[in-house]
Amino acid sequence: MAHALTIFIAAILTHNIALTYLLGMCPFISLSRSIKTAFGMSIAVIFVVTLTAAINWPIYHKILVPLESEIIYYIVFIIVIAASVQLVEMIMERFFPPLQAAFGIFLPLITVNCTVLAVSLFMVLRDYSYGMTLVFALGSAVGWMLAIMIVAAINEKLKLIGDIPGGLKGSGIIMIIAGIIALAFMGFGGMVDIN
Amino acid sequence: MKPIRLLIDKLYKIRALNKAKPMLDAMDAAMFGTDETTRGKPHIVDTIDTKRYMSCAIAALVPAALASVYFYGFRAIMIIAVSYAAGLFVEFMFAVIRKHKIHEGFLVTGLIFPLVLPPTTPLWIVAVGVMFGVFFGKEVFGGTGRNIFNPALVGRLFITIAFPAIMTTNWQDPLTDAITSATPLSVYNSEGIMAPYLDLLIGTQPGSMGETCRIAIILGGIFLMFTRVGNWRIPVCYIGSVFIAALAGNHFLPEKIAPPLFQVLTGGLLFGAMFMATDPVTSPFSKAGKYFFGISCGILTVLIRSFSANVEGVMFSIVIMNAFTPLIDYIVLKFKFRPVKI
Repeated sequence: MAHALTIFIAAILTHNIALTYLLGMCPFISLSRSIKTAFGMSIAVIFVVTLTAAINWPIYHKILVPLESEIIYYIVFIIVIAASVQLVEMIMERFFPPLQAAFGIFLPLITVNCTVLAVSLFMVLRDYSYGMTLVFALGSAVGWMLAIMIVAAINEKLKLIGDIPGGLKGSGIIMIIAGIIALAFMGFGGMVDIN
Repeated sequence: MKPIRLLIDKLYKIRALNKAKPMLDAMDAAMFGTDETTRGKPHIVDTIDTKRYMSCAIAALVPAALASVYFYGFRAIMIIAVSYAAGLFVEFMFAVIRKHKIHEGFLVTGLIFPLVLPPTTPLWIVAVGVMFGVFFGKEVFGGTGRNIFNPALVGRLFITIAFPAIMTTNWQDPLTDAITSATPLSVYNSEGIMAPYLDLLIGTQPGSMGETCRIAIILGGIFLMFTRVGNWRIPVCYIGSVFIAALAGNHFLPEKIAPPLFQVLTGGLLFGAMFMATDPVTSPFSKAGKYFFGISCGILTVLIRSFSANVEGVMFSIVIMNAFTPLIDYIVLKFKFRPVKI
Protein backbone atom coordinates (compact mmCIF):
# COMPACT_ATOMS: atom_id res chain seq x y z
CA MET A 1 0.00 0.00 0.00
CA ALA A 2 2.77 2.39 0.97
CA HIS A 3 4.59 1.44 -2.20
CA ALA A 4 1.51 2.21 -4.29
CA LEU A 5 1.14 5.60 -2.61
CA THR A 6 4.81 6.37 -3.24
CA ILE A 7 4.47 5.59 -6.92
CA PHE A 8 1.29 7.65 -7.16
CA ILE A 9 2.92 10.71 -5.59
CA ALA A 10 6.09 10.25 -7.60
CA ALA A 11 4.10 10.07 -10.83
CA ILE A 12 2.34 13.32 -9.96
CA LEU A 13 5.15 15.40 -8.47
CA THR A 14 8.70 14.21 -9.00
CA HIS A 15 8.22 12.39 -12.29
CA ASN A 16 5.37 14.44 -13.69
CA ILE A 17 4.82 13.26 -17.23
CA ALA A 18 4.24 16.73 -18.68
CA LEU A 19 6.62 18.84 -16.61
CA THR A 20 9.54 16.44 -16.10
CA TYR A 21 9.47 14.36 -19.28
CA LEU A 22 7.78 16.99 -21.48
CA LEU A 23 5.46 14.34 -22.93
CA GLY A 24 2.01 14.99 -24.31
CA MET A 25 3.07 18.45 -25.39
CA CYS A 26 0.85 18.75 -28.48
CA PRO A 27 -2.48 18.66 -26.64
CA PHE A 28 -0.79 20.45 -23.76
CA ILE A 29 -0.11 23.45 -25.98
CA SER A 30 -3.18 23.42 -28.19
CA LEU A 31 -5.84 22.64 -25.60
CA SER A 32 -4.63 24.75 -22.70
CA ARG A 33 -6.30 27.90 -23.98
CA SER A 34 -9.37 27.48 -21.80
CA ILE A 35 -10.03 25.67 -18.55
CA LYS A 36 -13.11 23.91 -19.87
CA THR A 37 -11.42 22.18 -22.80
CA ALA A 38 -8.38 21.40 -20.66
CA PHE A 39 -10.64 19.74 -18.10
CA GLY A 40 -12.49 17.70 -20.74
CA MET A 41 -9.25 16.56 -22.30
CA SER A 42 -7.65 15.61 -19.03
CA ILE A 43 -10.63 13.54 -17.89
CA ALA A 44 -10.44 11.71 -21.21
CA VAL A 45 -6.69 11.22 -20.76
CA ILE A 46 -7.13 9.79 -17.26
CA PHE A 47 -9.68 7.33 -18.60
CA VAL A 48 -7.73 6.23 -21.67
CA VAL A 49 -4.30 6.07 -20.05
CA THR A 50 -5.52 3.83 -17.25
CA LEU A 51 -7.53 1.67 -19.63
CA THR A 52 -4.74 1.13 -22.16
CA ALA A 53 -2.15 0.44 -19.48
CA ALA A 54 -4.52 -2.14 -18.02
CA ILE A 55 -4.86 -3.80 -21.43
CA ASN A 56 -1.21 -3.52 -22.45
CA TRP A 57 0.23 -5.13 -19.32
CA PRO A 58 -1.35 -8.57 -19.86
CA ILE A 59 -0.61 -8.40 -23.57
CA TYR A 60 3.06 -7.73 -22.94
CA HIS A 61 3.62 -10.08 -20.01
CA LYS A 62 1.30 -12.93 -21.00
CA ILE A 63 1.65 -12.94 -24.78
CA LEU A 64 4.76 -11.12 -25.99
CA VAL A 65 7.18 -12.31 -23.31
CA PRO A 66 6.29 -16.04 -23.53
CA LEU A 67 6.53 -15.82 -27.33
CA GLU A 68 9.89 -14.01 -27.01
CA SER A 69 8.72 -11.32 -29.38
CA GLU A 70 9.14 -8.29 -27.12
CA ILE A 71 10.76 -6.46 -29.99
CA ILE A 72 7.41 -5.61 -31.59
CA TYR A 73 5.92 -4.11 -28.47
CA TYR A 74 5.94 -0.57 -29.85
CA ILE A 75 3.67 -1.54 -32.73
CA VAL A 76 1.48 -3.72 -30.55
CA PHE A 77 1.00 -0.95 -28.00
CA ILE A 78 0.11 1.61 -30.65
CA ILE A 79 -2.41 -0.71 -32.26
CA VAL A 80 -3.92 -1.58 -28.89
CA ILE A 81 -4.25 2.10 -28.00
CA ALA A 82 -5.88 3.07 -31.29
CA ALA A 83 -8.18 0.06 -31.30
CA SER A 84 -9.27 0.39 -27.70
CA VAL A 85 -10.04 4.08 -28.06
CA GLN A 86 -12.15 3.38 -31.13
CA LEU A 87 -13.90 0.53 -29.39
CA VAL A 88 -14.64 2.62 -26.32
CA GLU A 89 -16.02 5.35 -28.51
CA MET A 90 -18.34 2.94 -30.30
CA ILE A 91 -19.58 1.45 -27.05
CA MET A 92 -20.15 4.91 -25.65
CA GLU A 93 -21.99 6.05 -28.73
CA ARG A 94 -24.29 3.07 -28.49
CA PHE A 95 -24.92 2.95 -24.73
CA PHE A 96 -23.93 6.30 -23.15
CA PRO A 97 -24.60 9.03 -25.71
CA PRO A 98 -24.48 11.90 -23.16
CA LEU A 99 -21.03 10.82 -21.98
CA GLN A 100 -19.85 10.52 -25.55
CA ALA A 101 -21.17 14.01 -26.27
CA ALA A 102 -19.33 15.32 -23.22
CA PHE A 103 -16.01 13.84 -24.35
CA GLY A 104 -16.67 15.05 -27.86
CA ILE A 105 -13.59 15.42 -30.00
CA PHE A 106 -11.15 14.63 -27.19
CA LEU A 107 -11.51 10.88 -27.25
CA PRO A 108 -10.33 10.33 -30.85
CA LEU A 109 -7.67 12.99 -30.30
CA ILE A 110 -6.12 10.97 -27.53
CA THR A 111 -4.92 8.24 -29.87
CA VAL A 112 -2.19 10.67 -30.89
CA ASN A 113 -1.35 11.79 -27.33
CA CYS A 114 2.14 10.54 -26.55
CA THR A 115 1.35 10.37 -22.83
CA VAL A 116 -0.67 7.23 -23.49
CA LEU A 117 2.12 5.38 -25.27
CA ALA A 118 4.73 6.69 -22.83
CA VAL A 119 2.90 5.29 -19.80
CA SER A 120 2.77 1.84 -21.42
CA LEU A 121 6.47 2.04 -22.30
CA PHE A 122 7.48 3.18 -18.80
CA MET A 123 5.51 0.25 -17.43
CA VAL A 124 7.77 -2.12 -19.36
CA LEU A 125 10.94 -0.14 -18.64
CA ARG A 126 10.39 -0.02 -14.89
CA ASP A 127 9.10 -3.57 -14.65
CA TYR A 128 5.95 -2.82 -12.68
CA SER A 129 3.55 -5.44 -11.41
CA TYR A 130 -0.06 -5.21 -12.60
CA GLY A 131 -1.31 -3.27 -9.58
CA MET A 132 1.61 -0.86 -9.69
CA THR A 133 0.99 -0.30 -13.41
CA LEU A 134 -2.58 0.79 -12.71
CA VAL A 135 -1.47 3.11 -9.91
CA PHE A 136 1.32 4.55 -12.04
CA ALA A 137 -0.99 5.09 -15.02
CA LEU A 138 -3.57 6.84 -12.89
CA GLY A 139 -0.91 8.96 -11.19
CA SER A 140 0.69 9.97 -14.48
CA ALA A 141 -2.64 10.98 -15.97
CA VAL A 142 -3.58 12.96 -12.85
CA GLY A 143 -0.18 14.65 -12.99
CA TRP A 144 -0.76 15.56 -16.62
CA MET A 145 -4.18 16.91 -15.69
CA LEU A 146 -2.62 19.01 -12.92
CA ALA A 147 -0.09 20.51 -15.32
CA ILE A 148 -2.58 21.32 -18.07
CA MET A 149 -5.10 22.77 -15.61
CA ILE A 150 -2.48 25.09 -14.11
CA VAL A 151 -1.39 26.29 -17.52
CA ALA A 152 -4.97 26.69 -18.75
CA ALA A 153 -5.84 28.85 -15.73
CA ILE A 154 -2.72 30.95 -16.28
CA ASN A 155 -3.67 31.34 -19.93
CA GLU A 156 -7.16 32.50 -19.04
CA LYS A 157 -5.70 35.05 -16.64
CA LEU A 158 -3.20 36.22 -19.24
CA LYS A 159 -6.04 36.70 -21.72
CA LEU A 160 -7.44 39.29 -19.33
CA ILE A 161 -4.36 41.06 -18.05
CA GLY A 162 -1.41 39.95 -20.16
CA ASP A 163 0.40 42.09 -22.70
CA ILE A 164 2.49 39.43 -24.36
CA PRO A 165 4.85 40.39 -27.18
CA GLY A 166 3.35 39.40 -30.54
CA GLY A 167 5.87 36.73 -31.40
CA LEU A 168 5.41 34.90 -28.13
CA LYS A 169 1.63 34.67 -28.19
CA GLY A 170 0.20 31.18 -28.24
CA SER A 171 2.66 28.33 -27.96
CA GLY A 172 5.68 30.49 -27.14
CA ILE A 173 4.35 31.78 -23.85
CA ILE A 174 2.99 28.35 -22.94
CA MET A 175 6.44 26.83 -23.32
CA ILE A 176 7.92 29.58 -21.12
CA ILE A 177 5.24 29.05 -18.46
CA ALA A 178 5.70 25.28 -18.57
CA GLY A 179 9.46 25.78 -18.30
CA ILE A 180 9.20 27.94 -15.18
CA ILE A 181 6.76 25.50 -13.56
CA ALA A 182 9.10 22.64 -14.46
CA LEU A 183 11.97 24.50 -12.76
CA ALA A 184 9.85 24.86 -9.65
CA PHE A 185 8.83 21.20 -9.71
CA MET A 186 12.54 20.29 -9.59
CA GLY A 187 12.24 21.28 -5.94
CA PHE A 188 10.54 17.94 -5.31
CA GLY A 189 13.60 16.11 -6.68
CA GLY A 190 14.71 13.18 -4.57
CA MET A 191 11.55 13.18 -2.50
CA VAL A 192 10.15 9.82 -3.59
CA ASP A 193 11.46 7.00 -5.74
CA ILE A 194 9.52 5.99 -8.82
CA ASN A 195 10.71 2.37 -8.79
CA MET B 1 17.61 71.28 -7.90
CA LYS B 2 17.32 73.85 -10.64
CA PRO B 3 20.38 72.78 -12.66
CA ILE B 4 19.10 69.17 -12.67
CA ARG B 5 15.70 70.35 -13.92
CA LEU B 6 17.39 72.32 -16.68
CA LEU B 7 19.59 69.37 -17.57
CA ILE B 8 16.60 67.02 -17.87
CA ASP B 9 14.69 69.54 -19.96
CA LYS B 10 17.72 69.83 -22.25
CA LEU B 11 17.98 66.06 -22.53
CA TYR B 12 14.32 65.89 -23.57
CA LYS B 13 15.06 68.23 -26.47
CA ILE B 14 17.91 66.14 -27.88
CA ARG B 15 16.61 64.30 -30.97
CA ALA B 16 18.87 61.30 -30.61
CA LEU B 17 17.49 60.58 -27.18
CA ASN B 18 13.90 60.36 -28.40
CA LYS B 19 14.11 56.60 -28.36
CA ALA B 20 15.22 56.58 -24.75
CA LYS B 21 12.24 58.63 -23.61
CA PRO B 22 11.15 56.06 -21.01
CA MET B 23 14.56 56.36 -19.41
CA LEU B 24 14.27 60.13 -19.23
CA ASP B 25 10.73 59.86 -17.87
CA ALA B 26 11.98 57.55 -15.16
CA MET B 27 14.82 59.92 -14.30
CA ASP B 28 12.41 62.82 -14.21
CA ALA B 29 9.97 60.97 -12.02
CA ALA B 30 12.68 59.78 -9.66
CA MET B 31 14.03 63.31 -9.20
CA PHE B 32 10.89 65.39 -9.15
CA GLY B 33 7.88 63.10 -9.02
CA THR B 34 5.07 63.60 -11.49
CA ASP B 35 1.57 64.94 -11.46
CA GLU B 36 0.38 62.01 -13.54
CA THR B 37 -1.96 59.39 -12.17
CA THR B 38 -1.10 55.75 -12.45
CA ARG B 39 -1.84 53.94 -15.67
CA GLY B 40 -0.66 50.50 -14.64
CA LYS B 41 -2.82 47.71 -13.36
CA PRO B 42 -3.89 46.36 -10.80
CA HIS B 43 -4.66 48.70 -7.90
CA ILE B 44 -8.17 50.05 -7.87
CA VAL B 45 -9.51 50.35 -4.33
CA ASP B 46 -8.28 53.38 -2.34
CA THR B 47 -6.22 56.25 -3.65
CA ILE B 48 -3.13 54.11 -3.30
CA ASP B 49 -1.22 53.80 -6.56
CA THR B 50 1.64 51.68 -7.78
CA LYS B 51 4.17 54.24 -6.70
CA ARG B 52 3.08 54.41 -3.06
CA TYR B 53 2.71 50.66 -3.06
CA MET B 54 6.25 50.15 -4.18
CA SER B 55 7.66 52.86 -1.91
CA CYS B 56 6.07 51.12 1.08
CA ALA B 57 7.51 47.78 -0.02
CA ILE B 58 10.96 49.31 -0.37
CA ALA B 59 10.70 51.02 3.01
CA ALA B 60 9.81 47.65 4.52
CA LEU B 61 12.86 46.08 2.89
CA VAL B 62 15.26 48.72 4.17
CA PRO B 63 15.91 47.12 7.61
CA ALA B 64 16.81 43.80 6.00
CA ALA B 65 18.99 45.52 3.40
CA LEU B 66 20.79 47.54 6.10
CA ALA B 67 21.36 44.38 8.12
CA SER B 68 22.87 42.68 5.07
CA VAL B 69 25.20 45.62 4.55
CA TYR B 70 26.13 45.55 8.23
CA PHE B 71 26.94 41.86 8.21
CA TYR B 72 28.52 41.49 4.79
CA GLY B 73 29.87 44.98 4.16
CA PHE B 74 30.91 46.25 0.80
CA ARG B 75 30.13 42.93 -0.86
CA ALA B 76 26.42 43.39 -0.15
CA ILE B 77 26.42 46.89 -1.65
CA MET B 78 28.15 45.55 -4.77
CA ILE B 79 25.61 42.78 -5.23
CA ILE B 80 22.66 45.16 -4.79
CA ALA B 81 24.21 47.63 -7.25
CA VAL B 82 24.80 44.93 -9.89
CA SER B 83 21.29 43.64 -9.45
CA TYR B 84 19.81 47.08 -10.01
CA ALA B 85 22.04 47.87 -12.98
CA ALA B 86 21.54 44.59 -14.84
CA GLY B 87 17.82 44.44 -14.15
CA LEU B 88 17.24 48.04 -15.16
CA PHE B 89 19.08 47.36 -18.40
CA VAL B 90 16.51 44.69 -19.37
CA GLU B 91 13.66 46.89 -18.15
CA PHE B 92 14.89 49.86 -20.22
CA MET B 93 15.36 47.72 -23.31
CA PHE B 94 11.78 46.47 -23.10
CA ALA B 95 10.46 49.94 -22.37
CA VAL B 96 12.29 51.41 -25.35
CA ILE B 97 11.42 48.65 -27.82
CA ARG B 98 7.83 48.02 -26.70
CA LYS B 99 7.25 51.70 -26.00
CA HIS B 100 5.69 51.34 -22.58
CA LYS B 101 6.54 53.19 -19.42
CA ILE B 102 9.05 52.04 -16.87
CA HIS B 103 7.21 50.95 -13.76
CA GLU B 104 8.36 51.32 -10.21
CA GLY B 105 7.86 47.60 -9.77
CA PHE B 106 11.42 46.85 -10.71
CA LEU B 107 12.75 48.85 -7.76
CA VAL B 108 11.29 46.20 -5.45
CA THR B 109 12.38 43.22 -7.56
CA GLY B 110 15.88 44.64 -7.85
CA LEU B 111 16.18 44.90 -4.08
CA ILE B 112 14.47 41.61 -3.13
CA PHE B 113 16.57 39.59 -5.56
CA PRO B 114 20.04 40.34 -4.07
CA LEU B 115 18.69 39.85 -0.55
CA VAL B 116 17.91 36.18 -1.24
CA LEU B 117 21.36 35.40 -2.66
CA PRO B 118 24.29 33.95 -0.73
CA PRO B 119 26.77 36.76 -0.03
CA THR B 120 29.51 34.96 -1.94
CA THR B 121 27.60 34.83 -5.24
CA PRO B 122 29.84 35.94 -8.12
CA LEU B 123 28.63 39.24 -9.55
CA TRP B 124 28.09 37.84 -13.05
CA ILE B 125 25.71 35.24 -11.67
CA VAL B 126 23.82 38.02 -9.93
CA ALA B 127 23.50 39.76 -13.29
CA VAL B 128 22.43 36.57 -15.10
CA GLY B 129 19.85 35.79 -12.45
CA VAL B 130 18.23 39.19 -12.31
CA MET B 131 18.17 39.48 -16.10
CA PHE B 132 16.54 36.07 -16.45
CA GLY B 133 14.06 36.93 -13.75
CA VAL B 134 13.04 40.25 -15.24
CA PHE B 135 12.97 38.92 -18.81
CA PHE B 136 11.16 35.60 -18.38
CA GLY B 137 9.46 36.26 -15.08
CA LYS B 138 7.97 39.62 -15.88
CA GLU B 139 8.57 41.29 -19.22
CA VAL B 140 7.38 38.48 -21.50
CA PHE B 141 4.04 38.66 -19.70
CA GLY B 142 3.82 42.39 -20.29
CA GLY B 143 5.62 43.99 -17.36
CA THR B 144 4.69 45.03 -13.85
CA GLY B 145 1.28 43.91 -12.66
CA ARG B 146 0.87 41.34 -15.41
CA ASN B 147 3.37 38.74 -14.29
CA ILE B 148 2.30 35.28 -13.15
CA PHE B 149 5.41 34.43 -11.16
CA ASN B 150 7.45 36.52 -8.78
CA PRO B 151 10.31 37.77 -11.01
CA ALA B 152 12.91 37.77 -8.24
CA LEU B 153 12.10 34.15 -7.42
CA VAL B 154 12.19 33.08 -11.07
CA GLY B 155 15.71 34.52 -11.30
CA ARG B 156 16.77 32.85 -8.05
CA LEU B 157 15.25 29.56 -9.17
CA PHE B 158 17.06 29.66 -12.50
CA ILE B 159 20.50 30.30 -11.04
CA THR B 160 19.93 27.73 -8.28
CA ILE B 161 19.19 25.03 -10.86
CA ALA B 162 21.84 26.23 -13.33
CA PHE B 163 24.74 26.75 -10.90
CA PRO B 164 23.96 24.46 -7.96
CA ALA B 165 27.53 24.17 -6.71
CA ILE B 166 27.97 27.93 -6.39
CA MET B 167 24.50 28.65 -5.12
CA THR B 168 24.08 26.02 -2.44
CA THR B 169 27.47 25.38 -0.90
CA ASN B 170 29.20 28.76 -0.69
CA TRP B 171 27.93 30.47 2.42
CA GLN B 172 29.75 33.05 4.45
CA ASP B 173 29.88 33.10 8.22
CA PRO B 174 28.87 36.65 9.16
CA LEU B 175 31.14 36.79 12.20
CA THR B 176 34.39 35.36 10.90
CA ASP B 177 33.85 35.93 7.16
CA ALA B 178 34.96 32.34 6.62
CA ILE B 179 33.39 30.38 3.78
CA THR B 180 31.34 27.48 5.05
CA SER B 181 29.32 24.95 3.14
CA ALA B 182 26.57 24.67 5.70
CA THR B 183 23.58 26.71 6.78
CA PRO B 184 21.70 25.99 10.02
CA LEU B 185 19.16 23.92 8.05
CA SER B 186 21.75 21.72 6.35
CA VAL B 187 23.62 21.30 9.63
CA TYR B 188 20.41 20.03 11.18
CA ASN B 189 19.76 17.71 8.24
CA SER B 190 23.21 16.14 8.37
CA GLU B 191 24.16 16.24 12.06
CA GLY B 192 20.97 17.02 13.94
CA ILE B 193 22.47 20.05 15.68
CA MET B 194 20.29 23.11 16.07
CA ALA B 195 21.68 26.63 16.02
CA PRO B 196 20.69 28.79 19.03
CA TYR B 197 17.47 30.72 18.46
CA LEU B 198 19.00 34.02 19.55
CA ASP B 199 21.77 33.72 16.94
CA LEU B 200 19.15 33.02 14.30
CA LEU B 201 17.11 36.06 15.32
CA ILE B 202 20.03 38.46 15.31
CA GLY B 203 21.55 37.05 12.15
CA THR B 204 24.93 35.72 13.16
CA GLN B 205 24.35 32.41 11.38
CA PRO B 206 25.23 31.88 7.70
CA GLY B 207 22.46 32.27 5.16
CA SER B 208 21.35 34.44 2.27
CA MET B 209 22.26 38.10 2.55
CA GLY B 210 18.96 39.57 3.67
CA GLU B 211 17.31 36.61 5.28
CA THR B 212 19.64 36.05 8.23
CA CYS B 213 18.69 39.01 10.42
CA ARG B 214 15.18 37.90 11.35
CA ILE B 215 14.49 40.88 13.62
CA ALA B 216 14.87 43.30 10.70
CA ILE B 217 12.59 41.11 8.58
CA ILE B 218 9.92 40.94 11.25
CA LEU B 219 10.08 44.74 11.64
CA GLY B 220 9.70 45.22 7.89
CA GLY B 221 6.93 42.65 7.73
CA ILE B 222 4.95 44.32 10.49
CA PHE B 223 5.34 47.64 8.69
CA LEU B 224 4.05 46.04 5.47
CA MET B 225 1.03 44.57 7.17
CA PHE B 226 0.37 47.75 9.14
CA THR B 227 0.28 49.83 5.96
CA ARG B 228 -1.82 47.06 4.36
CA VAL B 229 0.53 46.83 1.41
CA GLY B 230 1.06 43.19 2.25
CA ASN B 231 -2.02 41.26 3.28
CA TRP B 232 -1.63 39.71 6.75
CA ARG B 233 -3.46 36.52 5.77
CA ILE B 234 -0.74 35.01 3.64
CA PRO B 235 2.24 35.40 6.03
CA VAL B 236 0.18 34.37 9.05
CA CYS B 237 -1.17 31.27 7.28
CA TYR B 238 2.22 30.47 5.80
CA ILE B 239 4.21 30.70 9.02
CA GLY B 240 1.40 29.15 11.04
CA SER B 241 1.05 26.16 8.76
CA VAL B 242 4.81 25.60 8.76
CA PHE B 243 4.70 25.68 12.54
CA ILE B 244 1.83 23.22 12.79
CA ALA B 245 3.12 20.89 10.07
CA ALA B 246 6.54 20.85 11.72
CA LEU B 247 4.98 20.27 15.15
CA ALA B 248 3.07 17.26 13.89
CA GLY B 249 5.91 16.01 11.72
CA ASN B 250 8.52 16.39 14.42
CA HIS B 251 6.37 14.36 16.76
CA PHE B 252 6.27 11.37 14.41
CA LEU B 253 9.50 11.65 12.43
CA PRO B 254 11.94 13.62 14.60
CA GLU B 255 15.01 12.51 12.62
CA LYS B 256 13.57 13.89 9.36
CA ILE B 257 11.51 16.93 10.27
CA ALA B 258 13.04 19.73 12.33
CA PRO B 259 11.21 21.21 15.36
CA PRO B 260 8.66 23.95 14.63
CA LEU B 261 10.31 27.08 16.02
CA PHE B 262 13.60 26.14 14.38
CA GLN B 263 11.83 25.70 11.04
CA VAL B 264 10.24 29.13 11.34
CA LEU B 265 13.49 30.87 12.21
CA THR B 266 15.78 29.23 9.66
CA GLY B 267 16.23 29.61 5.95
CA GLY B 268 14.26 32.08 3.92
CA LEU B 269 10.91 31.35 5.51
CA LEU B 270 10.30 34.69 7.22
CA PHE B 271 11.64 36.67 4.29
CA GLY B 272 9.68 34.64 1.76
CA ALA B 273 6.47 34.76 3.77
CA MET B 274 6.66 38.49 4.46
CA PHE B 275 7.95 39.87 1.19
CA MET B 276 7.50 37.34 -1.60
CA ALA B 277 4.37 35.36 -0.91
CA THR B 278 2.49 38.60 -0.21
CA ASP B 279 3.13 40.02 -3.68
CA PRO B 280 -0.40 41.15 -4.61
CA VAL B 281 0.07 40.40 -8.31
CA THR B 282 1.13 36.78 -7.97
CA SER B 283 -1.05 35.71 -5.05
CA PRO B 284 -4.82 35.05 -5.11
CA PHE B 285 -7.10 38.05 -4.72
CA SER B 286 -9.88 36.29 -2.84
CA LYS B 287 -9.66 35.82 0.92
CA ALA B 288 -10.34 32.09 0.75
CA GLY B 289 -7.68 31.85 -1.93
CA LYS B 290 -5.18 33.68 0.28
CA TYR B 291 -5.75 31.27 3.15
CA PHE B 292 -5.34 28.30 0.83
CA PHE B 293 -2.25 29.85 -0.76
CA GLY B 294 -0.56 30.43 2.59
CA ILE B 295 -1.36 27.01 4.01
CA SER B 296 -0.25 25.16 0.86
CA CYS B 297 2.99 27.14 0.78
CA GLY B 298 3.68 26.12 4.36
CA ILE B 299 3.00 22.44 3.84
CA LEU B 300 5.04 22.34 0.62
CA THR B 301 7.93 24.10 2.38
CA VAL B 302 8.04 21.56 5.20
CA LEU B 303 7.75 18.66 2.73
CA ILE B 304 10.53 19.91 0.46
CA ARG B 305 12.81 20.81 3.39
CA SER B 306 12.40 17.44 5.05
CA PHE B 307 12.16 14.91 2.26
CA SER B 308 13.63 16.24 -0.97
CA ALA B 309 17.25 16.59 -2.03
CA ASN B 310 17.01 20.37 -1.57
CA VAL B 311 17.84 21.92 1.76
CA GLU B 312 15.52 24.89 1.43
CA GLY B 313 11.97 24.77 0.09
CA VAL B 314 10.61 28.31 0.42
CA MET B 315 11.56 29.40 -3.08
CA PHE B 316 10.14 26.28 -4.75
CA SER B 317 6.93 26.33 -2.78
CA ILE B 318 6.19 29.99 -3.51
CA VAL B 319 6.80 29.59 -7.26
CA ILE B 320 4.65 26.45 -7.35
CA MET B 321 1.85 28.24 -5.57
CA ASN B 322 2.28 31.25 -7.88
CA ALA B 323 1.56 28.85 -10.72
CA PHE B 324 -1.54 27.61 -8.92
CA THR B 325 -2.81 31.12 -8.19
CA PRO B 326 -5.01 31.59 -11.30
CA LEU B 327 -6.54 28.14 -10.79
CA ILE B 328 -7.26 28.91 -7.11
CA ASP B 329 -8.92 32.18 -8.08
CA TYR B 330 -10.94 30.44 -10.78
CA ILE B 331 -12.20 27.77 -8.40
CA VAL B 332 -13.01 30.26 -5.63
CA LEU B 333 -14.93 32.46 -8.06
CA LYS B 334 -16.75 29.48 -9.46
CA PHE B 335 -17.94 28.17 -6.09
CA LYS B 336 -18.38 31.38 -4.19
CA PHE B 337 -20.11 33.50 -6.76
CA ARG B 338 -22.42 31.04 -8.42
CA PRO B 339 -25.27 32.60 -10.35
CA VAL B 340 -28.50 32.58 -8.36
CA LYS B 341 -30.98 29.97 -9.49
CA ILE B 342 -34.51 31.24 -9.62
